Amino acid sequence: MSSLTLGHGSGGRLTQDLIGRITSPFPRPETPELEDCAILPEGIGVTIDGFTVDPRVFPGGDIGKLAICGSANDLAVRGVKPLYICLSVIAEEGLEEEELATYMKSASKVCGELGVRLVSGDTKVVPKGCVDGLFLTTCAVGMPRPENVLGMNNLKPGDKVLVTRSIGNHGATIAACRFELKAEGLKTDCASLWPLLEPLLSLEGLRCMRDSTRGGMGTVLCEWAEGTKLGIEIDEAAIPVQEGVRSVSDLLGFDPLYLACEGTAVIAVAPGQAERALEMLRAHPLGVEAEIIGTITEEHPELVGMKTFAGGMRIVDMPVGEILPRIC
Amino acid sequence: MPNRATPEARNRLLSRVQGLRTALEGLVDRPMRVMEVCGTHTVSIFRAGLRSLFPEQFRLISGPGCPVCVTDQAEIDAAVNLAGKPGLTVATYGDMLRVPGSGSSLAMEKARGADVRVVTSAAQALDLARKEPDREVVFLGVGFETTAPATAAVLTEARRIAISNFSILSLHKTVPEVLELLASDPELKLDGFLLPGHVAVITGTGPFAFLPEKHHLACAVGGFEPDEIMMGLVELALQIRRGKPAVKSLYGRAVREEGNAKARGLLDKVFVHAEARWRGLGNIPGSGLSISEEYRSWDALHKLGIELGPSAPPSGCRCGEVLAGKILPPQCPLFGTSCTTLSPVGPCMVSSEGSCSAYYKYHRGGRLL
Repeated sequence: MSSLTLGHGSGGRLTQDLIGRITSPFPRPETPELEDCAILPEGIGVTIDGFTVDPRVFPGGDIGKLAICGSANDLAVRGVKPLYICLSVIAEEGLEEEELATYMKSASKVCGELGVRLVSGDTKVVPKGCVDGLFLTTCAVGMPRPENVLGMNNLKPGDKVLVTRSIGNHGATIAACRFELKAEGLKTDCASLWPLLEPLLSLEGLRCMRDSTRGGMGTVLCEWAEGTKLGIEIDEAAIPVQEGVRSVSDLLGFDPLYLACEGTAVIAVAPGQAERALEMLRAHPLGVEAEIIGTITEEHPELVGMKTFAGGMRIVDMPVGEILPRIC
Repeated sequence: MPNRATPEARNRLLSRVQGLRTALEGLVDRPMRVMEVCGTHTVSIFRAGLRSLFPEQFRLISGPGCPVCVTDQAEIDAAVNLAGKPGLTVATYGDMLRVPGSGSSLAMEKARGADVRVVTSAAQALDLARKEPDREVVFLGVGFETTAPATAAVLTEARRIAISNFSILSLHKTVPEVLELLASDPELKLDGFLLPGHVAVITGTGPFAFLPEKHHLACAVGGFEPDEIMMGLVELALQIRRGKPAVKSLYGRAVREEGNAKARGLLDKVFVHAEARWRGLGNIPGSGLSISEEYRSWDALHKLGIELGPSAPPSGCRCGEVLAGKILPPQCPLFGTSCTTLSPVGPCMVSSEGSCSAYYKYHRGGRLL
């Protein structure tokens, strides 16, 4: 084992491998679930997520909003209604209390909108230099619908893949701030997904949903293909990407497919219900840009293939290493 | 950057590419071997899936177009050795981070506590030095004629403000000299080159005129969008078929025969051409940009007394042959086995513009086709 590099925190292949190694002392559960949240036998959905982002305030959000949306979305994509939040604050000596208070206000605002209650927490202040400013960790708890357990194991050849909005906004926004690029109108997609996704739970053919955060939509699709031994085929022309995201990506050499989103879900649904799912998504303000972007297939197992703008075919590979450090 | 936001724009692009594909099919009546010598081309071609559209007899080989990849092992080692020196900050383009040197990489040194910072421009590195006057900031100047003028501009600025805690390790290289080497290589049997648009914007087409004149090789200066690349390839096939090679620019009005006089002037002011080491290709006379006498105070080689050691590439790694166009990435025994994008052995797998990485990420030996 060697020293950790930022690449190990990127959400891509290095992160996956690291998680495999560091969880090895724990006994394997009978059905290991590599999903966004755990659904416990007692009928509880639970997840935990740490947040550290530089800058802490960015167009469209801040670390407080991010911390609640992030965990609540991890529940929502498995059909779990978020109910409770536990919040841990680790702050660096010297942080202005007023700044911290503004993040708590934005966190509270999201909780209020979602009907989520803050029920437990922990606060630590550490000497200067021991953390960079502020780390927030949230644990979200909610109630799953027992009749509809979502997960990649439900995927079947022929299923349609949808994305709920244009991709890559969070990653591109943070990159633009970090590299001092001006991109008109560009802002994070940071939002809580439950109100958008709840109506879809009534669809019998709903197979699986994922919150595409670090590593972006490309990583989610690669995880599905590898986790199910199925292939996925997507159409580049169908994938919604805003112009601002495209220009930042072009300037910095990123692929929007791998840029982090913070309020964007990737959804697989039975072919017969794809159009209905699309209608339902588009009926909500967060889903107006939703599109059907691809299909699950038996061809090229474990690989994601993309028909390109130019009419060619190429592989979409899981990203390796650091795309941008400290993004969420 | 063409607009791809509307379905109409996307359809136009698609139909242009389809038309050019048909044209290419019509022109390629015998085996043709051409080489692209720009990492941005390599990646754009794979990202657009263009290889799946080429006629069978048309072979496009990736050459030494990735600046990080052609950086010699000894140069990487010199950069890695700088990292971790007390009071010293290494400022670098992100692509250099993970390139393995003989013993370590900049990323590994960073994890051990070395002050290595990723910048997107030479100017950002100079800013760092201004903001942190107590640290010696060394910028790793990597790249061809495209990035060298920015480094040159920063050097003149460093001199103007007489900054004392800033220097540049110039690993810059120039393209025409390496093309001369490849063009004269009997083993390669090339029919032509797809020349990089942005390099030609600076150099002009003049420095490439020897390719058709002396070596009878077709040359097209191409843009980077899928249709622009296809147009370049169609032009090459046309020249090859007619047996009338020339340097033809398809990169619009940006490319002039004399290039960008201002940028060239900056290069001449700050750099002198010197022999440079290229990974896998050896020493090429006149292909490196060394910092001139007048700017010596900001030359890291001189200021920090850096001596380049031996160039020992990782064992078994055939990046050198890949860069020289002698083998395709999948022909290297390490490709996809011990050398992947996850644990890269050579720079061509590390760099996002490297041809091994592009083959691995987007093509994987053609498993989709």
